[in-house]
Amino acid sequence: MNRWRRSVDELAARRRQQRKCERAQEALSRVTSCFQQLATSLGSSADSGFLRDEMDKTRALAHRLCSGVGNRQVLERLWVLFLSVTENFLSDLRKTSDLIGQFPLTQHGRPSLVKTGCIDGMVGVAARVTSVQVPWLTLEEEPSPDLTNHITGLEAMLSEMQLRVPVAFWSVESTQPAWAEAHGEQTEPEHSLEELMEVEVVSNKMAACCQPPCCSCMG
Amino acid sequence: MTIRNTLRDYGQRYRPRMACLKKAEKVLLEMQDPKTGVKSQPQRLVITTIPHAITGEDIIAWLADRFQIDTQEARKFGSMLVALGYIYPLQDHKRLVVKPDASLYRFQTPYFWPTQQWPVEDTDYAIYLAKRNIRKKGILELHEQEQYNRLHKWMNHKWDFIVMQAKEQYRAAKERKKPDRVVFDCQERAYWVVHRPPPGTVSAMDYGLDRRVDPNADEAKTHDFYERIMIFTQQSIMRPRVKSSVSIGALVKYCATYNSHDPFLSKCLPSNPWLTDDVTYWTLNMPNVEIPTKMRVERWTFSFGELLSDPRGRDDFRLFLKKEFSGENLAFWESCEDLKWGTAATMREKAEQIYKTFLARGAPRWINIDGKTMEITVNGLKHPHRYVLDAAQTHIYMLMKKDSYGRYLKSPVFKDTLKKAICPEEHKFTDAQLDQNAKNRRPSLSPIILRQQEQEQRAKMAASATVDITQLCRFTTPVPHLAVYSGITDYPSANASPSLPFLTHTPACPSPISVALDSTSASERRAETSEGEGEGNPQTRAPIGGNVSKPRMAFSLRRLLKRGCTPSTMFASLSPKCPSAAGTSSRIQPISPDQPTQAPPRRIGNFFQIKVDIPPECRIYPIESEDEEEENRAASRSGVGAKEIICPWESLTPQNGMG
Repeated sequence: MNRWRRSVDELAARRRQQRKCERAQEALSRVTSCFQQLATSLGSSADSGFLRDEMDKTRALAHRLCSGVGNRQVLERLWVLFLSVTENFLSDLRKTSDLIGQFPLTQHGRPSLVKTGCIDGMVGVAARVTSVQVPWLTLEEEPSPDLTNHITGLEAMLSEMQLRVPVAFWSVESTQPAWAEAHGEQTEPEHSLEELMEVEVVSNKMAACCQPPCCSCMG
Repeated sequence: MTIRNTLRDYGQRYRPRMACLKKAEKVLLEMQDPKTGVKSQPQRLVITTIPHAITGEDIIAWLADRFQIDTQEARKFGSMLVALGYIYPLQDHKRLVVKPDASLYRFQTPYFWPTQQWPVEDTDYAIYLAKRNIRKKGILELHEQEQYNRLHKWMNHKWDFIVMQAKEQYRAAKERKKPDRVVFDCQERAYWVVHRPPPGTVSAMDYGLDRRVDPNADEAKTHDFYERIMIFTQQSIMRPRVKSSVSIGALVKYCATYNSHDPFLSKCLPSNPWLTDDVTYWTLNMPNVEIPTKMRVERWTFSFGELLSDPRGRDDFRLFLKKEFSGENLAFWESCEDLKWGTAATMREKAEQIYKTFLARGAPRWINIDGKTMEITVNGLKHPHRYVLDAAQTHIYMLMKKDSYGRYLKSPVFKDTLKKAICPEEHKFTDAQLDQNAKNRRPSLSPIILRQQEQEQRAKMAASATVDITQLCRFTTPVPHLAVYSGITDYPSANASPSLPFLTHTPACPSPISVALDSTSASERRAETSEGEGEGNPQTRAPIGGNVSKPRMAFSLRRLLKRGCTPSTMFASLSPKCPSAAGTSSRIQPISPDQPTQAPPRRIGNFFQIKVDIPPECRIYPIESEDEEEENRAASRSGVGAKEIICPWESLTPQNGMG
């Protein structure tokens, strides 16, 4: 009876861990995607001190999520997914460090930024980041490292993970068939980029040729 | 996901340095200056206005002013910036060019700039396609669909991650304000047009092979590094030197000769496929085309090397040599090339065959090389390797170059080819036609299919070509094609190397002729006395397996031979293209053993080989004279074994003074 109870407890514990990892996985996905959105504005006209701060905060959150994994037992699939997310995040980090080096805000500031047409301060994205919860409590609040150390740390962690745990990633199969996501999202009808890019029908000069096929042939 | 072994890693994975990227970035930043940069204007859309749009003509004007160049060059420079992905067009986003009118462009955000260090990952592309899938509810363009399916197959292990990340990025992007969302979508789409171009788009991100060494990494100045530099410098000093007047003269001559043939410097007729997307030029210049172009024929006159390296030119030259009955030189040269470039497993066999066919005393296609070279070659053949025939090959090459090449250029064969050569008209495409061409671009045939077609072509050509009767004997009989001669319809598999159609002793495919001949009366007698001709013998005893039609063939040949029909008439009657050959060979009398032996066995050879120089001790062995000789020998001398060609490295007691 005791052994049975112990095994049940073990199973429950493992399932809880698994769920925690899954939640961490989702959280990490969210954080990295937000990080990418922020990163696309680096060096552009939307770049600002606020943006850089937000990016640091996002990065710190990602760091906390990553460092919680450690030597836990995880299932193969989650393992592979976690590695993928980390790799993706790492490449974004590298790009970010390059761009920050290339476009320092402290120097003459504005003139060296690229005019891309973006002006937003990315408030919405930052809010999304803060809505992410870390599923496990960090025992010690270690200060999040600065960018270069973060990159090297993450690289080391990745290689260590790959070497220590012999998971054959090619044996993992996806749970979703192809093209599944196309029918998944039932959000409000989204305008296609082409519709959004329709040029405003301007007055007198264009009045004569104001037929739809002429004007809206964007993209 | 890879496990990297940095110690013994010999993989080639680093992108070669694209120096233009850093320079383009500098230019881009200069364009941003509010005072001296490119003028920007707002783009008015239905829903909003977006700032920072620039017109094509403004870009071109700014570049022309900044670099002091003319408009056309500025336009090309601007198009290069667009093709690299630093500026993207807002209308007609798939054509990465700068149009010199009021079409609008925008600067790309630095996150999406092309980088030297980081290659563009398929993972990111998969995420992008998944996002697009979500957005467009499954309606993607054709090439995007193909890519999606391919990535789904190859990245199946991380597909969950990709879909998850795509959904998250989609939702994160929605948090932005509408104009910025439009801008971001444009940016992302432009990025992928550059790095995964749809068919018909030219992006500038094509590069050649990956490098083994990371061009961005600093090389450590270790002991090995300095040693390498020292060796390099020493070798540079030891290089032979030429007077600059001589070398410059050679360069000038080369430029003058090839100037009109260079597609960069002169017009390419009918049109350059890379510029107009029309592939007529390539079709007209295929390797085995029937009628070559005039430019191509002109190139053959530049040097002998040019003639030989062009397959069509080599064919023409071969035809000329056949008419002159000196085809063995070219055949030898081609066999040496085959040896040099062939697989290591077949090298020994090939070397033996070449020796027996071309070099040995009494070889059927004996080539004329001087004694010293012959000595070196035969000695080298004791331990054959890839380059053992180099000396002989060079000798023959120079012989052909100094002698036959000159005569070829004056021959009627060449003059005929030159007269028939075509000179295509230049294409004059309108812009609309160019667009159409770009849309109709299709990938060419796979190299595997091309190779198969080439082999079929060669088989057909060899089958339909007239057999070189004077050079005929068991060593030169074309093998699989004889099946075609006699009307047998099963297709020969070209397992023999294509350039040596006359090799008979490939174990997999015994020549029906050789098998048939071996079973004639003469060789039956000889079969007991002879030990071996290398690898040939097991076949003569072995049953004719596999091909049912071959025994039929063998029987018919045997019957013909027993009737005393000469091989020339036999082949003539079999070859579909020589209906009248039987008539011309009527002067050849069948040789019966009773004939007096005063008539030199070379008699028949002489009849056909008027011009070829045959040294007295070498015989070309038409088959019947072989038989006759056997019988003569057997009659006159007793106990002496048959005269065969024995490779010097095989025989223990060298016969005929070889080895």
